[in-house]
Amino acid sequence: MTARSVPTDRDVDVVVVGGGPAGSCAALVAARAGLSVVLLERGPFPGSKNMYGGVVYPRILDELIPEWWNDVPIQRWVTRRSTMLLTETQALTVDFRAGAWGAPPYNGATAYRPDFDNWLACHAQAAGAQLITSTTATGLLRDSAGTVIGVRTDRPDGDLTAHVVIACDGVNSFLAKEAGLYEHTDAKHFTLGVKETLALPKHVIDERFGVRGREGVDIEIIGATGGVNGGGFLYTNLDTIAIGVVLKLSKLGAQQQRPEQIIATLKQHPAIAPLVQDGELKEYSAHIIPEAGLTMMPKMTTDGMLVAGDAAALCLAAGIWLEGVNFAMASGMYAGQAAVEAVQANDTSAVGLAGYQRRLSDTFVLKDHRKLRRAPALVLSDRVQHLYPGMVANVVERMFRVDNPNPKPGVRRIFNQERKRAGVRRRDLLRDGWTGFRSFG
Amino acid sequence: MTDHTGHTRAHPAEILAPNAWGGMSFQERMATAEFRIHHQPHIVVDGKVCADCSTRECVVACPANLFVPTSDGGIVFNHEQCFECGTCYLVCNREGAISWHYPEGGHGVVFRRT
Amino acid sequence: MILACLKWVTHPGEPHDERFAGISPADQSALEFALVQAAALGLGVTAVTVGPAGAEKVLRDALACGAQRAVRIHSAGTLSSAEVADALAAAAPAARWVWCGDYSLDRGTGSVPAYLAAALDAQQALGVISVAWQGDGVVATRRLDGGRRELLSVAAPAVISVEGATAHLRRAGLGALRAAASATIDVVHPAAPAHIDEAVVRAYRPRARALAAPLGEQPLDRLRALAATGAATATRVETVTLAPPAAAARIAAALREWGYLD
Ligand SMILES: Cc1cc2nc3c(=O)[nH]c(=O)nc-3n(C[C@H](O)[C@H](O)[C@H](O)COP(=O)(O)OP(=O)(O)OC[C@H]3O[C@@H](n4cnc5c(N)ncnc54)[C@H](O)[C@@H]3O)c2cc1C
Ligand code: SF4
Ligand code: SF4
Repeated sequence: MTARSVPTDRDVDVVVVGGGPAGSCAALVAARAGLSVVLLERGPFPGSKNMYGGVVYPRILDELIPEWWNDVPIQRWVTRRSTMLLTETQALTVDFRAGAWGAPPYNGATAYRPDFDNWLACHAQAAGAQLITSTTATGLLRDSAGTVIGVRTDRPDGDLTAHVVIACDGVNSFLAKEAGLYEHTDAKHFTLGVKETLALPKHVIDERFGVRGREGVDIEIIGATGGVNGGGFLYTNLDTIAIGVVLKLSKLGAQQQRPEQIIATLKQHPAIAPLVQDGELKEYSAHIIPEAGLTMMPKMTTDGMLVAGDAAALCLAAGIWLEGVNFAMASGMYAGQAAVEAVQANDTSAVGLAGYQRRLSDTFVLKDHRKLRRAPALVLSDRVQHLYPGMVANVVERMFRVDNPNPKPGVRRIFNQERKRAGVRRRDLLRDGWTGFRSFG
Repeated sequence: MTDHTGHTRAHPAEILAPNAWGGMSFQERMATAEFRIHHQPHIVVDGKVCADCSTRECVVACPANLFVPTSDGGIVFNHEQCFECGTCYLVCNREGAISWHYPEGGHGVVFRRT
Repeated sequence: MILACLKWVTHPGEPHDERFAGISPADQSALEFALVQAAALGLGVTAVTVGPAGAEKVLRDALACGAQRAVRIHSAGTLSSAEVADALAAAAPAARWVWCGDYSLDRGTGSVPAYLAAALDAQQALGVISVAWQGDGVVATRRLDGGRRELLSVAAPAVISVEGATAHLRRAGLGALRAAASATIDVVHPAAPAHIDEAVVRAYRPRARALAAPLGEQPLDRLRALAATGAATATRVETVTLAPPAAAARIAAALREWGYLD
């Protein structure tokens, strides 16, 4: 690694737009390699604009911040994960506990993004990046050949030139759109997440969710979002819980159900109500998710510019199991590495920056997306959303029901009866089963 | 189990009553988030374009409930308590109805526990 | 030299969280007036704050807006208004103009400017709602009871405290902001006060408001007037039925008359 002096023809080597997980990792990597880096954030501090469900999977940070768990501001380590299938009156839960997830190197953790993102940006600053907050990038600067040479901000004397612009400006990425990297934007590729943070005493949370100390729970929910396709989630923080829903944008307007009403209905479900009862609303929040994976991904690179994180639709939304922060951190890190290579080789054209796409393809970032490419459509499909939960719950109910003196019917018979009752064709069921098996299996 | 008024909850059915969580109004709900308001609106809605819109998806979808239909068929919009999420411009399919920008840096929503 | 006194306070909702700390709108207005005056008089602004290291953030912001120098008077605990004023005066004995906010985010008493004027032996104009420039001096407007105004002609050396939103603080340029990040901030350790007063923390109470004596010839009439609801503001009650535009104009006129609008 060579320490470079301040670039002559540009203000800085790299400008990173967006102080989310993608931006901070990009800035950290580039600054650590000795490049001059500015990290722009439009909020008053990093994380102030960022809302999500609630669980980060920080293992990728092993490569950037050794023993990151010693100072990361998390709420609880997730040691218990459940998936719930709800009908109006029934609930089927798959519950998994892993004690090992409660000790280093850990697996996932609940955290508040205003804490987590701010912490990560501090590491980028410690590596030498200059963080500028309360500053919105409003557009790209280009030279006559169309090469991106910096960004314009909403401050007086606000142009900032750079050899490489890394756009980590989140799901709405106006920079990626301005650069022409997206072909089009379509509402059906997005879901809206709304969430309530509810205060409850720590000991009450511990009792209700069966955890102790810093142990926490992560629950994903299918089938309780009214007529709107989507899913629900419920996560434990130290002395709050987060409950929310993720809703398909294209269905929301048509169904005439407001987001907060859908949360209210979920909170009243008999399987959920006892968990959230008496929680006092501390914060209501909302954000959108790019959930169509490969279907919507933009071109990642152009002359002088890279796109990472949600801005590049790299959030992995296998329906309701959301992993975005880890994909953002990884893609930001790879973008930072590619920028370093390009600047050091004095070629920041799309060709010089090609190391980015290569890294994405060779790692979990795109491998997971390829593997799960059919999952979002499957999990959000009308059958999974509206028919299967009832069908499966009825099967289980009949298996568990003790209907003496009648003898127990065979599972296969129950299953076929319930499949017909739900109006599911055998052909569709087999196809969905196969898609699910190939995605998750 | 006692609720915030100190009364014992006698009946599980109460939990299911619509107002079991204090019957919070939408304004109270929005007051739980902080907004550093800029006097210049970052989102501008052109009521003329909305006048003959039949879908009105923004009205249902905006999580902050900022699009309010008026009796004369228009839409009034107020930018002050906006989450800057982007839902409205995505669900609206009328060219020119919504002009959408981020607020000036340092302004707008500030999250704390999310 | 022109001094802008900025009080860094944490957010009442998040008292232990520096991410939410800052200065009040009144302090922002004070800084803006200082910068405008400095440009007119060809002087430099020194931004000063009394507080812990975290408070340097607001000084850097002030430098980015155009202040020439920044001084932090170190203090980790709570000081009384007199101690703060003494420390400020000691740090800038030659200040010609001193601009302060009328109140800070934590609802202090607003008494620092008065102590400061005494310590600097300067003129004072406190709780100012508008400022006009006149030669090398300032004409400051204060609000009085009953909608009246007081105009003060102020000459240096002077301490002026302004209300919030009397001026809109300029937005710092990007270059200036980047430069301010590595600018030097002078840190001063105040001399220990001769005798340390216990810092008195009192519950917030709104200030007393003078009310007109109740109307009535006889003591009994006056008592009745007092006991009736709204007696104190009786002279202001007026019910009119007007069309919306006329009603709006009437309300605005009433607010102007009572001194809530200019
Ligand atoms: C409801 C919901 C639930 C989720 N649940 C999870 C979960 O449980 N686990 C998980 O891993 N992921 C989850 N995600 C996904 C995750 O939040 C995102 O994938 C992740 O935040 C992406 O990080 P990023 O850095 O790319 O973008 P962001 O976190 O969105 O950061 C973008 C940053 O850029 C700033 N910015 C934007 N535009 C500009 C501009 N023009 N100028 C300056 N700054 C700008 C923003 O203020 C922001 O700080 C969820 C998302 C949602 C909405
Ligand atoms: S904003 Fe768009 S969706 Fe909403 S009423 Fe106007 S045209 Fe219709
Ligand atoms: S950006 Fe989101 S919160 Fe703001 S008006 Fe649009 S839909 Fe509503």
